Order: sequence, then C-alpha cells, then structure tokens
Amino acid sequence: MDVLVLCAKTAVACLLIVAGGAKLSDPASFASTVRPFIPLRVAWRLLWAIAVGVSLAELAVGLASLTLPAVTALNIVVLAVACAFVAVSALGYAFHRGRSCRCFGALFQRKFTAAGVLRSAFIATIAALALGHAGAAALRLDVTARVLLFAAAGLLALVAFTAARARGPGREPEPEAVAQ
Amino acid sequence: MILVGSFVVVALVLCMAAVLALFGVTHVSMSGAEAIERDGLAPGMRAPVWSLVDAAGQVVRSPPRAPLQLIMFTDHSLNAFPSVVDGLREIMAQERLEIVMLTRRRSELAEPMLRFMGLDGISVLTGSPSLYAAYNVRVMPFAIFVDSAGRVRASSLVNEAWQVTKLLQLADLPLEPDNLARRGRFRRPTAGAGV
Repeated sequence: MDVLVLCAKTAVACLLIVAGGAKLSDPASFASTVRPFIPLRVAWRLLWAIAVGVSLAELAVGLASLTLPAVTALNIVVLAVACAFVAVSALGYAFHRGRSCRCFGALFQRKFTAAGVLRSAFIATIAALALGHAGAAALRLDVTARVLLFAAAGLLALVAFTAARARGPGREPEPEAVAQ
Repeated sequence: MILVGSFVVVALVLCMAAVLALFGVTHVSMSGAEAIERDGLAPGMRAPVWSLVDAAGQVVRSPPRAPLQLIMFTDHSLNAFPSVVDGLREIMAQERLEIVMLTRRRSELAEPMLRFMGLDGISVLTGSPSLYAAYNVRVMPFAIFVDSAGRVRASSLVNEAWQVTKLLQLADLPLEPDNLARRGRFRRPTAGAGV
C-alpha cells in the first residue's frame, strides 16, 4: 500500500510538472484555450498572464509535492488541482466540445472529449490515492535527496518545455496579427 | 515494511521514465512525416522581407505590391509534380495574385521548364538555403501565400492541384482566431464536402 501511495504521489507531481512545463512553452496558445472559459471580454495581455499564471502554478504545485513529500497539506492542494482539471474538462466537454484543451501544451493534441473527462477523473483518483498514509520513514528526505529531487523535477520541466516547443508549430502568429 | 527514503527512489525512477518518454515523443515528432507537416510559417506571422532580381532583370519584392503573393519553393524538379503545375495554371490568371518561384540555389533549367509547362508568367528567383530556413521550408514543392502587409496567409507542402487551389481559398480568409486553426495544415476534402 505504501508503495502505491508513493507512486501515486510521484506520478501526479510529475504530471503537474510536465503539464506546467509544456504549457509554458507556448502561453499564447494556452491563452486562446482559456479565453472561452472567461465570460467577460478581457485584454489579450491579461489572458496571456492568466495562462502563464496557471502554468506556473501547476509547475510550482508539482515541484513542491515532489520535493516536500512529508507536507500532507500539499496532497490536498494536488487533489484540489486534479478536481479543477475534472471541472474544466467537464465544462469544456459541455460547452466547447472538440476544441483543443492544450492540457499539455503542444505535447499531446488533447481535446475536450468524454475520454478527456475520464482521463481527468482518473488523475483525480490517483491524487486521492496519494492522500493515503505512507510511512514517515519513506518520506524522510535529507538535503542531498531534496536537491536530487529538485534537480530531477527541474530536468523534467525543462525536457517537457523543450519537447512541447519542438512538437508545436513553434512559430505562432503574433497576437496583433490575430486581431487584424 | 518500507525502506527509509524510498520516496526518493520511486520519485527519481518515475522522473527519469517521464524524461525518457518525452525524449521518445520529441524524437518521433522531429523525424518523418509529422515533422514535415510542421514546415512553413503559421498564418498571421510576419513573412521574411526580401527583394530579388529575376532572370529578366525585374526586381521582385516580398511583401508584394499585389494583394497576394504565392511563393513556390521549388526548382526544375517541379516537372515531377504535374498536378501542382495544373493547380498553378488554374490560379495564375488571377490579377490580384503574384506567383514567384523561389529556388534554393541557382537553377538554369527552372525558367525553360516553366516556359515548357505553360507557366511563363512566373518569375524565377534564386534564393538561398538561409532564405529557405527563414521560411522553415525543407521539402519541395512548398507553397506560402503572403499578403501585401507582409503576413503569411497560408502555408503548406503541395503535391496536387486541389491543394494549391485550396491554399488560395484559405489565404483569402480573414486573419481571425477561428480561421487560424483551419489554415496551414489541411485535410483532403471528402466527396461532396466543400472546402
């Protein structure tokens, strides 16, 4: 059971890091995904800022969850983020079916579909599993281990960023061109 | 019973597995057909600015004075794509459209070949590998439509006549967010479906 909890905790943390890193590679595209979810007409810069904020938040939560495994409150934050994924997937499926969700930037061409809602629910289930009890000894980290995990998380974010940039069109239209 | 610090081991193993998986995904995307599909420039982007002299001594510029310019990235090997030639013949009479052939390097055969194929109104311009790189073009024949404001309107590898004509239709769409998703990459139209 302990190993299952550790795997669940790590898997969701890695997923958040990959999603955050990949989204950061192309905030403009993610901003265009965010736009339909905001009922008010907002400036492009604000949308862009929201997109970057969401990406950074995902990255930060994943990084914290991975490097501070003993902080149980983080597990609840991760579960809340996963539940937000389910809510966004369900809203996207209900109102913007078939549109690209950009959940992983340009890494995977996911769309708002029923399968997407199920995937989000699966991630939330894993996040809930990570709430389970794991032995304190297993979660004990010394400085070296923490630095090692931080480096691994950084590498993962960097690789996700680079992979998303390589996979994406890379040369997106500038915002003012879109507004013409 | 679980070992002390086993979280580190699990976390590092999963992180490295994720890194390897991402390397795999990137490798696939940077090789083969999927990579070629991403060649060219996205609609709405600013196209490179240049002016070149054609074989007749005329200066040709991009962005063009005409409302629309079709830059064909190809050379004398275009004769291996008769359907693309048909597509060019179909659209070249349009006054609002300027068609130029941009070769990667000097091609003495390009102009006689165009004349032979009935495309003698098209200017042949000698480009360079760096100009091709600026347009993100690796494989020929490639078509990029640029408007007079210097914005890319449509861009794709072309192998058949219908692709040339459809690109022109896409180039006519206004640069709006909803249209951008439909541009650049296109699918073969199904029977009875409009473009």
